Order: sequence, then structure tokens, then C-alpha cells
Amino acid sequence: MEIEVSQSKLAKALNNVSRIATGKVTLPVLNNVLIRVEKNKVSLVTTNLDMAIVDFLPVSDSKDGVITVPAKLLAEFISNLPRNEKIKITVKDYKITVTAGKYSSSINGTSADDFPELPEINEKNAVIFKMGIDEFKNGINQVAIASSSDLTRPALTGVYFNTYDKTLAIAATDGYRLAEKKLVKNVQSDISVIVPTSSLQEVLRSIDDSMEEIEISFNDDLVRFRLGEVEIISKLIDASYPDYKRLIPKDNNIKLDVDREELIRVTKLAALFARRSASGSIVCEAKKPDVFSVRSVASELGENDSTIETKVEEEGKISLNSRFLSDALNVLDAKTITLEFANSVSPIVLKNKNSDDYTHIIMPLNS
Amino acid sequence: MWKNTPLISQKYITQYFNSNKTCGKLHQKVIYYFEKEVTVYNVWKNVLAEIEQKISAANFSTWFQDTSIVSIEDGVVIIGVKNSFYVKQLRSKFLNLISDSLSKNGVEFNEIEFEVQTKTKSKVRPREVTASEVTPIKKHIKPIKNSLLSSNGLNSKYTLDNFIVGSNNDLAASAAKSIVDAPGTRYNPFFLYGGPGLGKTHLVQAIGNELLRRNPDFKILYTPIADFYSDFINSVLKGKGNEFSQKFRTLDCLIIDDFQFIVGKEKSQEEFFNIFNALYQLNKQIIITSDRLPNQIKSVDERLASRLAMAGAFDLQLPKFEDKCAILRSKADLMGAKIEDEAIEYIAENVNTNIRDLEGEFSTILLMSDVRGLTPLELINKGAVNVSHTSKLRPTSTKQVIEKVAKYYQLTPEEMCSKSRVANIKTARQVAMYILSKEMSMSTTKIAAEVGVKDHTTVMHGIKKIEQDLKLNFALRDQIDEIKEKIYG
Repeated sequence: MEIEVSQSKLAKALNNVSRIATGKVTLPVLNNVLIRVEKNKVSLVTTNLDMAIVDFLPVSDSKDGVITVPAKLLAEFISNLPRNEKIKITVKDYKITVTAGKYSSSINGTSADDFPELPEINEKNAVIFKMGIDEFKNGINQVAIASSSDLTRPALTGVYFNTYDKTLAIAATDGYRLAEKKLVKNVQSDISVIVPTSSLQEVLRSIDDSMEEIEISFNDDLVRFRLGEVEIISKLIDASYPDYKRLIPKDNNIKLDVDREELIRVTKLAALFARRSASGSIVCEAKKPDVFSVRSVASELGENDSTIETKVEEEGKISLNSRFLSDALNVLDAKTITLEFANSVSPIVLKNKNSDDYTHIIMPLNS
Repeated sequence: MWKNTPLISQKYITQYFNSNKTCGKLHQKVIYYFEKEVTVYNVWKNVLAEIEQKISAANFSTWFQDTSIVSIEDGVVIIGVKNSFYVKQLRSKFLNLISDSLSKNGVEFNEIEFEVQTKTKSKVRPREVTASEVTPIKKHIKPIKNSLLSSNGLNSKYTLDNFIVGSNNDLAASAAKSIVDAPGTRYNPFFLYGGPGLGKTHLVQAIGNELLRRNPDFKILYTPIADFYSDFINSVLKGKGNEFSQKFRTLDCLIIDDFQFIVGKEKSQEEFFNIFNALYQLNKQIIITSDRLPNQIKSVDERLASRLAMAGAFDLQLPKFEDKCAILRSKADLMGAKIEDEAIEYIAENVNTNIRDLEGEFSTILLMSDVRGLTPLELINKGAVNVSHTSKLRPTSTKQVIEKVAKYYQLTPEEMCSKSRVANIKTARQVAMYILSKEMSMSTTKIAAEVGVKDHTTVMHGIKKIEQDLKLNFALRDQIDEIKEKIYG
């Protein structure tokens, strides 16, 4: 096997794939990256048995062959070489030799026989969506923050991809807050699957500026993301997702339009005093005719009271976790946002003004 | 307390997990095909045992770890696996092996299918041994508790070196050192007392170990008092009462743990008293731990109580912040675990109950950091850990504390915070000051204003008074614990 490739391209591809080669699993070969050269096509593969990353590498010259080498070691060696150096990789007797100008090293590899074969998407019955990479990235960022890390409730550790009203929506909830984004409109096929949040984060990390479109293909128990030269395959979470749409309150009599930047600042100020209390509780109150106030009290420190001017038609009060509120505000993107709630015990709904694409709801704290 | 309402109730969660299709299906199978299941279970067990012989341990535990047979019907064997990565690998690399093994075990089939079963508990753990490999268990278990005298009851993991000395326990620790240097002389009997989880057992076990290290011929016995009397009763039942006490009397050092549980065991107490006297006469070292002073243990004979504490009683107190950090640091070094100083400080700051809880919390965090692949500090910063719910509680207001204390002493808050010098009112007031200071870390000046006394010196005096009384007055300790329970309850 032989490869000739530029340092920058190889380093980028290796850094991308080596992230998941962490060796948390009992099988040592999973610490390795599989390098396969076939008819001048080079692919780098790693897997942790929950997901796999495949990076297709553009090379200037190559000879066929296949080997696995410790991923982290190779990635670090390559990234520390001078940029734009031409790198040559040769393999002999499971030993891989990397030469780049004055630098050279040889690393012990192992046969590719032990490396697991990757599951493949069955193209025939796959459900495929395509979308712009920025919409995808933005959507996942907006939703994934609400997913849970509690492994005892596996369904909630993922992002739920589902279709209704000819729309592909993604949603996540940890039981205390919920985020939903309408990702693609006018879709033809139906889907209802849970993708692990950890896999989606790897997809986001693989995104670079040159990419424009992402293709997502779903099978019954597998999903594949194709973006640029990268392909990511992940298992799906085999569980049923709660009927989250039921949880979004419909009849909110209190509706407020608030400047997002201003509310972020006010929330940050209030959070300073709320940090000491167990749940970072802050109290939001709407008062006629035009005051929206945010208050927090820390008995040892003192207290904070800020107001924002906005039109108030119905009065009401609600206590919220300040961290949840600022998380939500940070992923909303319009200049003005809409807050809706009914009373102090039902959830508050946050949306970009005049847009129904993104909905974030937070449960109130009760005293 | 502020509490977050869950968006989805636990009931709902349970419902939707139960409604999960694979679970439901399996459940049915278990009911209708119970007999079949048992056969299938055994078949798969044998298949796994055979495969384990043929492939490497790493491969076996990776690929066959949570596998099971879902069903064998109409010539189709369905094998349950974790996810599609496993399906692919088993199909492409191990299919022949599996089918050979299945045929050998008498399964007739035309086809092997794989099914992803995330939530299925595997019916056979691959590590499970087959019948032929089972060695008779009895041979391996030494009859440890057969008789107290067959072993010395010491656990070598407790040593004086890994006992962290701080201001909370330095007296006891230096007494322990002098016992090791000259057993049976100055600190005899050595009476050690303190709340649960503060290191009593560690210290006395360490003394025993160190004595044994220096004098290998020493006869040492460590026993919780409960074992002492159960063995005593057994010996009496077998008519070997004399033999029992004779064996004890030949010891060079006797260590009795948790002496407070002697309560109500009069005959055992008498026996213990005799043994105690005999050993003491011969200048043998006696070490006793308890959660309170001898005269506060109910129904302990006065003669015994006065003897137990005659060489002084040493107490172990709650460690201070610095001590806690030192304990955690040394434990981390011992375990070879990496943990940031900030993380240690965080744990030390937030666990205020005892050392056992401290170490428990510490291990949990290390474990979680291992599992999640984050450093302990990242874990804490992410809020993924919630250090010991019980120890983190704080009363919400001073008013609440004062009301609760007053109510406990059947006074009104006004009465309690008056200038009255009547004994019980004064005590109540001082208890309130003590709790405000310890539980809410309020300054003495602030406390003075709250409970209506002249100035902060009065408060300081009050707190000091209670602190001193607490050492001797166990009724007061119980009272304060009850009040705390009411406040946090």
C-alpha cells in the first residue's frame, strides 16, 4: 500500500476520524484507524460500535492495500508536521512508514481482518432527506441542548426526527424543557426515529466551511449522514419517543414581545443572584401596562431587579431556571422574540417573533 | 425549596417504555413459550461456551456480550444483538462459527437472522460458566465467621499511614501512635468515640494492624460487639462458655467496635466486664469504639462505664475543609486517579456529613467521569453531578430556623428571643444561635440581631457553650439532630 498526500488534507481527515477511536470498548483494534486504498480512492475509517466515521481522502498518488494503525498516534504525528509538506505513507509487514521531508517514523499496525465491517444503508428502502448544511447545523444546535444525558431514559438522550403535516421536524427534551425545529417543509416520506445526540455532535464537528449540503439516509436501525468527503454512520436509539406535541401549551393568554439581546442581558444579571439557590431560580413578571420584570433573590448576597419595557395586556408571573432560560435565548436568533405563558404552573413558550419554525418550552419552577 | 416540575411524569415514562414493541413481544413470549425459552436459553449458553473457546477473549466479549436467541421458529433462528454494527460484524465474520455451533447443539435451521434489541437484557451472560466448569463453591469460601478466634478480624487495608490526621482527630491519632509504641500502658483502655463515618473503625483497625506488624506474635482480636455477644450466646448454648472466656483472656489486644450496641445485653455485658477486668489486670491493651461516651450508653453498668473511660475518651470530629481536601487528595493518589484540585474542593465544600459520604461521593464522581469520558471538573461544571442531596440542604430563612427551634422547645419565637434568663429559654436561644451559625454560616453579629441578644460576644459565648455541652450531653445532641430534621424535613 502506498499513499502520497498533502499534510493539511491528511491531518484534517485524521483529526476528524480519530475523535471516536477512544478505545472505551474491549476490542483494541477500535483504537485504530482503518486505511483502505482501492483504485486510487483512499478512505479512513474509525468506529466505536455505536457510530462510525469514514473520511474519503483526495490523494495525488496511491497503490492498493489496507491496514489499521493507532488513530490518535498517527493523527498527532501528522498534525505536528510542517504544513504543506508532501507526505508519503508506505506499508510493509504491518508496519506503516510515514515520511515527510526530513521527518520519518514507522508505526506498528495490525491486519485489517480484525477491524469490524461497517453496516450499510440499504438504499432501496432508505428514507433520504437533503438540506443545506447551515440549516442542519443551526437546527441541531437549537434542539440538541434540550436533550438529556440521563442514560436511564435512553429515548431522551437523542434527537427525535419525525414527520407531520408534510414537515420534517426535530425535537429533544430532557423532561424539564423541550425544543422543536421544523427542518424541512414539503417532504414526501414519513419517518419517526431517534438519533443519538452524541452522534449528531460528531456530525456537527465534521462540518467545515467548504461543505454546502448534507444528505441524511434512514433505515430501520441505522442512519447515514453524507457531507462533503465525510460519511457518518450511526445506530438509532431503539425506543419510542414521548408524544411531545401534546406538551406544547396552546392557549396562552399572556403574550409578550421582547428584545432578545436585552432579555439575555437581564437574565445574565439575574442569574448572578440566582446561582446560589439550588435551581438558579429567577422570577419573571408581566405588569400592566408596559413592564416585564426579572427578579432574583439570594438571601446571603442580596437581590436583583431589572425591567424591560414591552406592551402587556395580561398580567402574570412565572419562576424559571435561569440557565435553561439563557440556553434558550442563546439559540433563538431573531432580534425580537415572543414569550407566551398562561400561569405560574404551565410551561412558558419561546419563539422567534413571527415565526413558528422553532419552539422552545421550559417548565416553570414551583415553590 | 425550589423544585423543577418534570415535563413528563415518571408514570408516562414507564408507560411508553412498556409500550415499546420489542419489550412487549418478549414479555408475551416469556409467558406463552416459557418451556421453549428455557431450552433456547440453554442452547445459546452452550453455543456461546463453544464460541468462546474458538475466538479471542476481546472478540468474544465485544461481539457476543449482549447477545441472545430471540426465537427459533420454522427453521429460522433469530439472534438479538445490540445494534446494526453488531449485525454486520456477526453476519460477515462469525456466521459460520455460529451456525456450526448451533448445528452441533442439535438445532435444526435453514436461516439465521439478526435483530436489534437495545433494551433486551441478554438472557445469557457470556461470562456465565457451563455446568462442567462449576467448581463446588463450598471449598472456596473459608469459614470466616465460624468462630471469632479463628481469625483476628483485621483488614489490612486500614493502616496508620493512610489515616489522614487533621485538627479534627489529631489527639486520637497521637494516642493511637503511643499505643502502638507501648501497648497496654498509658492509654488503656483506649476509648474512641464519634459519629458514623468519621474513621473510628479505620483508626482502631490501623492500630491492630500496626501492632501485629511490629509484634507478629501478638494475639489480637477485632470484633464488633454484635459478633461478640452472638458468639458468646453460641458458646453458652453449646456449653462451652468457659472456653469462650478463656480464649479471650489469652489475647494481647482486644478491639471492640460499635460498643453502643451492647444495650440490653446484660449477660454479655457481664461476660465482657469479666474479660475486660482480666485483660486489664494483665496490662493487655483494650480498645473500644462507640458513637457516644460510656455513661451515655443506655443501660451500661456504672462500674463498667467508669472503667471504660478511665484512661480518657478520645473523640473524632467532623473534618474541616482542609482536612477533607487532604483526605480526598490522598485517596485519589491511592487510587491513581486524576482529579483537579477544584473538583476536590468542590466535593469537600459540598459534603458536610461525614468522611464515608465524602469518599462515597468522590468515588461516584470518579466512576461517572470514567463512564462519561469527562474529567471530574468538567463533569461538575456541566452540572452532571449533584453532590449528596442531603448534605447540600440549607434552611431557607433565619425566620424558619428560629420558629422551628422555638416550636421544638414549646416556646413562641418572641419568648425565645426575649431577654429572659430562665434556663430552658436560654438554652433554646443558644441552640438557635448554634444552628444559625453552623447551618447557615451566618456571622455572629447578624445572629445577635436575629435572636435579639445584646451583641456578638453573647452569641459567641452561646455557640461555644452549646459546642462544649454537645461533647458530653447526648440528650442535647439528639435534640439538635431532631431540630435539624424538622428544619430540613
